[in-house]
Amino acid sequence: MGVLTNLGLFSFLALSAYLLLIAGEMSFGQQAFFGVGAYSGGILTAIYGLPLPVAALAAMGMGAAAAVLVGLPTLRLRGLYFAMATLAAAEMARILFELLHFQREVDGELVGPDGSQGFRGMRWVFEHGVEPGGYLAMVWGLLALVLLVFIQVEKSRLGATLRAIGEDPELARSSGVDVEGFKLAVAAVAGALAALGGVLYAHHNTYIEPRNFDIMLGVHSLAYALIGGLGTAFGPLLGVAVDIGVLEGSRVFGGYRMIVFGGLVAILLVFRPRGLLDERVVRWLSMRSAA
Amino acid sequence: MFVDLVQNTLDGLTSGAAYALLAVGFTLIFGVLRRVNLSYGPAIMFGCYAATWFHVHFQAGLLLLAAITLAATVLAGAYVERLCFAPHRDGSAIAAMVASFALWMQLEELATLMLPIHLYAFPALYEGSPLHFGPFSLRAEALVMLAVTVVACVALQRMLYHSRFGLAVRAVIEQPIAARLAGIDPPGVFVRIFAVASALGAVAGYLIVASSEQVTPMLGMWSTMKGMLAMMLGGLGSLPGAIVGGLALGLIEAHSQWFFGPQIRDLTAYFLLFVLLALRPSGLWTTTRNG
Repeated sequence: MGVLTNLGLFSFLALSAYLLLIAGEMSFGQQAFFGVGAYSGGILTAIYGLPLPVAALAAMGMGAAAAVLVGLPTLRLRGLYFAMATLAAAEMARILFELLHFQREVDGELVGPDGSQGFRGMRWVFEHGVEPGGYLAMVWGLLALVLLVFIQVEKSRLGATLRAIGEDPELARSSGVDVEGFKLAVAAVAGALAALGGVLYAHHNTYIEPRNFDIMLGVHSLAYALIGGLGTAFGPLLGVAVDIGVLEGSRVFGGYRMIVFGGLVAILLVFRPRGLLDERVVRWLSMRSAA
Repeated sequence: MFVDLVQNTLDGLTSGAAYALLAVGFTLIFGVLRRVNLSYGPAIMFGCYAATWFHVHFQAGLLLLAAITLAATVLAGAYVERLCFAPHRDGSAIAAMVASFALWMQLEELATLMLPIHLYAFPALYEGSPLHFGPFSLRAEALVMLAVTVVACVALQRMLYHSRFGLAVRAVIEQPIAARLAGIDPPGVFVRIFAVASALGAVAGYLIVASSEQVTPMLGMWSTMKGMLAMMLGGLGSLPGAIVGGLALGLIEAHSQWFFGPQIRDLTAYFLLFVLLALRPSGLWTTTRNG
């Protein structure tokens, strides 16, 4: 059950990385917005006693705002420069979480972020009698909703514009697309998505610390999108499933788990540099299902 | 106050020399291959671990340890090149980067399997107290490191601009197709550049662990982050820039640590990187050579 919940939670982050990848930007910093969501959502429920859905919406707003703040000066950068700038921004965010001390007394107990000591006691889920199964259903329900939107968008003109920007921004610009505005909007949506994952993650674990949102998480989310494939929004989910699935499934490998998984990813990328479910496979599948 | 400022500057130059040496290897790979090798640091860490393993089991001498570090780092580098960079030479830079991250996980796990405790002692290069000049002190290793960095850069510069191999390298960077027509074998050039960069990394790694007298698995991530940061601060693909970037990073860290403490030190480094990228993506030390 915990595995399935984690699978769902990290899928939000993987989808966030995926969205930017298909718009042609590789972000090393989506973990920051995951963290922003986790911290702001946690503060709202644990200190201000707001209900989780309201806190989640606010956290998504915070995530989007943070993404716009990072995106405005950096989105015109290309490739590696953008990757580095987002990495720098994410590391700044992580250090700011370490410096964040905002504790208030609630029911005779200090709650709130305590710097590098972390932020414990996000008990909204527990206090409102949500069973682990119920939480799992909520996470996956939200994920299904997000996927549905993704699939509808990819079929639409909007999706075509998105991929056009990703493949050839100059061409997209010359056919009248406001590339900068579009990318900023994409970054905001990706930030909100990561924040939603973050707020759900925080309330599932009840405890977060700045280290949870380090570069490792960011690279993992990129790897998820890339292993699964850039052809469809199901790709990132497959990527998460392969990682968490293989990690859990390959207990037989014992201490060699990361060696096996790392080698698997590297070899997979040799043969499928755009992931398992890349554009060609997706087209072939959709043609077959149409026939 | 003045004494402290000078001493901090000396300390900054000490760590800056290590950063510069790391950045030179990074720059070499990026300048020629246009790829980011996230496994650069982990390969160095692997080399140092191999040497430490020999030290723990056979009490090998300094010279032998240096040789083992070199051999193991180059071996790990060759493995990374074969699996992450050779297959993606004409393809996706993102796939190469994610693959190099996958091998990072492998190398880290391999190292911890070899030596399972978190921290091991490494024999010092120079037994004795730091050099004293009036109220100031400077570790002898720092001078060695600075000297090695400068010598390495001069040698590289000579190799790139005054040898047939260097001519081939520059030809491959500027006109890959014409280079091929002129009988140059670009893959061969890439492999040799990778080997040179790995050897430089080994030298950097050996000097770093010998002067800090310890190794931990964190060395991999540390080397990658510091080397990349210094490379970005100096401007991508420029060798003098790598030295300037490394020393600048060392100085910035030393002074901001003294004024504001270790957390603000890291925050400052990332903030500067972010601002630099946003305002001047070509770096402080701009060269048009690699356009």
